[in-house]
Amino acid sequence: MEKQRLSFYSEIAKNKRDSVFLVVIVFAVLVLLGYVIGLAVGGEWLVLILIFSIVFSIFYVMISYYNSDKIAIASVGAKVADREKYRPYYHSVEGLCLASGLTMPKLYIMENPQINAFASGRNPEHAVVCVTTGALEKLDKRELEGVLAHELSHVANYDIRFMTLAAVLVGMVAIISQIFLRSLWFSGGRSRDNKNVVFIIIGIILAILAPVVVALVQLAISRKREYAADSSAVKFVRSPTGLIGALKKIKSNSEMKVSSAIAPLFLANPSRAKEFFQTHPPIEKRIERLEKM
Amino acid sequence: MVIGWIIAIIVLVVALAFFLYYNKFVRLGNQIDNSLAQIDVQLKKRADLVPNLLSAVKGYMKHEKGIIKEVTDARKALVGAKDMTGKIKAGNKLQTALKSIFAIAENYPNLKANENFLHLQQELSAIEDKVAYARQYFNDGIMEYNTSATTVPGMWFAGLYGFKKKDYLQIPAEARAVPKVSFD
Repeated sequence: MEKQRLSFYSEIAKNKRDSVFLVVIVFAVLVLLGYVIGLAVGGEWLVLILIFSIVFSIFYVMISYYNSDKIAIASVGAKVADREKYRPYYHSVEGLCLASGLTMPKLYIMENPQINAFASGRNPEHAVVCVTTGALEKLDKRELEGVLAHELSHVANYDIRFMTLAAVLVGMVAIISQIFLRSLWFSGGRSRDNKNVVFIIIGIILAILAPVVVALVQLAISRKREYAADSSAVKFVRSPTGLIGALKKIKSNSEMKVSSAIAPLFLANPSRAKEFFQTHPPIEKRIERLEKM
Repeated sequence: MVIGWIIAIIVLVVALAFFLYYNKFVRLGNQIDNSLAQIDVQLKKRADLVPNLLSAVKGYMKHEKGIIKEVTDARKALVGAKDMTGKIKAGNKLQTALKSIFAIAENYPNLKANENFLHLQQELSAIEDKVAYARQYFNDGIMEYNTSATTVPGMWFAGLYGFKKKDYLQIPAEARAVPKVSFD
């Protein structure tokens, strides 16, 4: 039976669309939660809670977003890559920047025998790319190029910015839920009429479920952006062969110890858990899609 | 009353479209011009490295006069080329000549071990990739521009503002043929 060919153009568009749709879902959950809680505790309290949660969430997320490049590099102890020592690395990225129209990011090296790489930075002008020494040793020129193209795709698709937006919304859901649940704890003694009690109960259920739901949706969003990055990588290089080869080699990577904040940025998820809880799609599925391009 | 508001909004949206589409075509056009210049940058880098390569090679390949002349002539043609088509054609010719030199160098183990030679070989190989990528990006820009200029509603604004479809980079005929490597 003829395998259906995928076009990287449509794959990029489809995955980006899906990720936007999922962000809308998070926003809808936020609105629903706010509405129910507003009915339960009254309008004035809701406004206060909303303002607090927006400010807190944005403040918390923005600091790491603004310095995402420096934070990512510092947290793994990466070093600037010397241009003379790592000339093929620089040549590859320079070529890909020509293919994508991106400005050249700062290049870093991370001492680790596993094959992996990440990109960070709030926009192309402040972008950094880091590869492991293992990647430089174990991948051939085409495979390394595929990996670097995937990382540059994250920069080109503004994935850091996108995931930050999602994180702010998810954070707000979590904060609002927490405030609501805690406020009930303290105001338990006051009498309420029947209408309010119903909404309070619904509010409690939502406040417990919503944070879990949006956290899972956030992971799904991350997976969609990963597929989009794979497709964009093919667009830059005009061939999936390199990236497929690299992913196949990565399959035999063992677990890497990195903080959970940084884990989503890597090429392949450094931890082993069920797909639902993964920031990255399973490698087999990624290879399957790439082989159809 | 409501009709008034609706009309106002429609007028606003249409006016916005006039602005946005004009700017879009200008922006895409500038991007295309820039990407053409990027191809030029890589071709110039290639031309600049040739004298270094020739001096590195001359010591070992003294009697390979044919290929050395070929490279020198190709470089002269590239440097003297006037328009972009001419430059790309000359660039292709130079690339073919360089392929021959590197093939011939295989017969000279001392040359192959020379650090300077290896460095230049690596650089020129990287430039070959970069020229290809720069051309790819240029063609992508043309495609985006043409798509905007030929789909609805871009096509109406393109017609209005006089933005015409642009041409892709044509590969000169000789470049499509498999390069002949001369071992004389």
